[in-house]
Amino acid sequence: MSAISPPQSLPSFSSKSPSKTLTPTPNSTRSCNRIHCELKKSSAAPQKWTIDCVSSTDPIHIILKPPNSALLPSPMDSSLKNSKRVCLFYCSEMRDLAERIASESDAIELRSITWRTFADGFPNLFISNAQGVRGQHVAFLASFSSPGVIFEQLSIVYALPRLFVSSFTLILPFFPTGTSERMEDEGDVATAFTLARILSNIPISMGGPASLVIFDIHALQERFYFGDNVLPCFESGIPLLLNRLQSLPDSDNITIAFPDDGAWKRFHKQLQHFPMVVCAKVREGDQRIVRIKEGDPKGRHVVIVDDLVQSGGTLIECQKVLAKHGATKISAYVTHGIFPNKSWQRFNHDKGGNPENGMAYFWITDSCPETVKQVKNKPPFEVISLSAAIASALHI
Amino acid sequence: MERSKKKVLLFYCVEAEDLARKVAAQSNLIQLQSINWRNFADGFPNLFIKNAHDIRGQHVAFLGSFSSPSVIFEQLSVIYALPMLFCASFSVVLPFFPTGSFERIEEEGDVATAFTLARMLSNTPISRGGPTSLVIYDIHALQERFYFGDSILPVFESGIPLLKERLQQLPESDKIVVAFPDDGAWKRFHKLLDHFPMVICNKVREGDKRIVRIKEGNPAGCHVVIVDDLVQSGGTLIECQKVLAAQGAAKVSAYVTHGVFPKKSWERFVHKNDNGKAFAHFWISDSCPLTVEAITGKAPFEVLSLARSISDALQI
Repeated sequence: MSAISPPQSLPSFSSKSPSKTLTPTPNSTRSCNRIHCELKKSSAAPQKWTIDCVSSTDPIHIILKPPNSALLPSPMDSSLKNSKRVCLFYCSEMRDLAERIASESDAIELRSITWRTFADGFPNLFISNAQGVRGQHVAFLASFSSPGVIFEQLSIVYALPRLFVSSFTLILPFFPTGTSERMEDEGDVATAFTLARILSNIPISMGGPASLVIFDIHALQERFYFGDNVLPCFESGIPLLLNRLQSLPDSDNITIAFPDDGAWKRFHKQLQHFPMVVCAKVREGDQRIVRIKEGDPKGRHVVIVDDLVQSGGTLIECQKVLAKHGATKISAYVTHGIFPNKSWQRFNHDKGGNPENGMAYFWITDSCPETVKQVKNKPPFEVISLSAAIASALHI
Repeated sequence: MERSKKKVLLFYCVEAEDLARKVAAQSNLIQLQSINWRNFADGFPNLFIKNAHDIRGQHVAFLGSFSSPSVIFEQLSVIYALPMLFCASFSVVLPFFPTGSFERIEEEGDVATAFTLARMLSNTPISRGGPTSLVIYDIHALQERFYFGDSILPVFESGIPLLKERLQQLPESDKIVVAFPDDGAWKRFHKLLDHFPMVICNKVREGDKRIVRIKEGNPAGCHVVIVDDLVQSGGTLIECQKVLAAQGAAKVSAYVTHGVFPKKSWERFVHKNDNGKAFAHFWISDSCPLTVEAITGKAPFEVLSLARSISDALQI
């Protein structure tokens, strides 16, 4: 994807460019320049995708945001709901997403925290203008990208509800440890249980239990790990994917593939109107091989869907099997691009005709900010922002 | 009537292994157990408690050490998991409770991280033996005992008895004076040391500066031992030593239970040829294992081990 420097060149979303109009509308009151892009296809109503260039942090940073009408309530509802002002605090690594969320709505106001460290390594934190949150709805946008950052953010999460706020919401787009939630052997330590317990212990505020917003939690059972004093709110990034798929020129040739039954269980209901392929890992002697269990990818643009990606091994094996069975284009979507140790580097861009070696698109959301920084402007990666979904979750 | 002693299975975090071995060496009833401490590629812990079945019906303890925020999550995962393995009782020994010096909210907006840590520990699941016991040595602020919720039983111990034992071994044991760097230290410790003559220092404002002065007591001609719960940069101790020496102390030593010494600040105290021997002895306990490793064998430092005290506390 070409870099964007308003108002000159245009990004191209697909190889067959529909006609586009570009209206740069730099907004001087906010930190991002917003460029509205209209994609006209012969068969569908024009879709307005927004591209944000967040100039305060990165000069060029392309984040796709779906048309507002898809996710936010209708104008009449929103005028009532917009009267709920929300003070949004955030951890340092989530600053970009926080700014995008605040730009979604006048009712969301960014607040700041001073994050320092004492000499012994423990946090020295100060919430600016703490008295100003009394009687306000308050939210904190967290990111537990590693165990080391949990304690400082948790200190804020435990402190904010006790500042006489009228409600408290914790937004944790990606809930880590989710893959280690089973105890198969007595002695396994399910760290997902530890994290859920820590979050369940958020103090109650004047508005009752804290709300906890999580996107695409790994295991469906994990919703029961949370105690009575928090109200988990499980959201999904799949509606954002749906929007994006509908704007593709070959949207009528898309088939969804799931790498395993777990992914199918999690997502098939939200993707019902697409044909599906389900893969499975089958044991052959010592090896485990990916096979297609159901469905036919032949001649299709197949989009592999899962909640998260770590090393990428599973996705690559699925890709090979799908290509072998005749998929003409292969893309992937994961809500959470964890990619430890830069494993995203394994994914090549297929510019056309080469589905066994590259992907046409690899969509991730901005739930994992460190990855977003690394993959921006690197095809096949495209980042779809959760900001609109989070902004509307804050108005519940 | 003496209570019968109980066998205890002792788990421990990686950095506290040496202390755990010393504790187990104190008594046949204490048996060391092991945990696999690994990490997944994403940095999150991949933990396995070995021989988990053997825990059933046994008294279990975990020796932790929160030397930095990054080790808290993995140890907390074990602390939350052990009581749920049908043990007869569960104790956590956390010799040094960090964040303790930042527990006040002076301005609305200050975040008392001691409250966060106390809350996380208070949320330890209840085991068959009831609430978990939590053994802490010389917690920084006396009020912090009230930060813990009802489902945990804090046990507040002190390293001062170790100091008293050590002082009795010194040749000039009849000319020892205990000095406190401020009123806080006096409040915490004077009752345990009341058979020693005392000196109390405090910081007085002179213009822009804060200067250490002697508030009460006379150090002249004595071996003065400055006592406090912990040391960070060491600045306070050094200023006290200067004032005490200026007022005629024959020798100055220091005792702190917790040698936190961030960023190797212990180097200011090491005996080198040029700076003479400002401190004759510097006693610390082994509550901060990373420091113990760094200062072992370096005069004037001497480590007084908590092992015996911990093994007794495990019998509670």
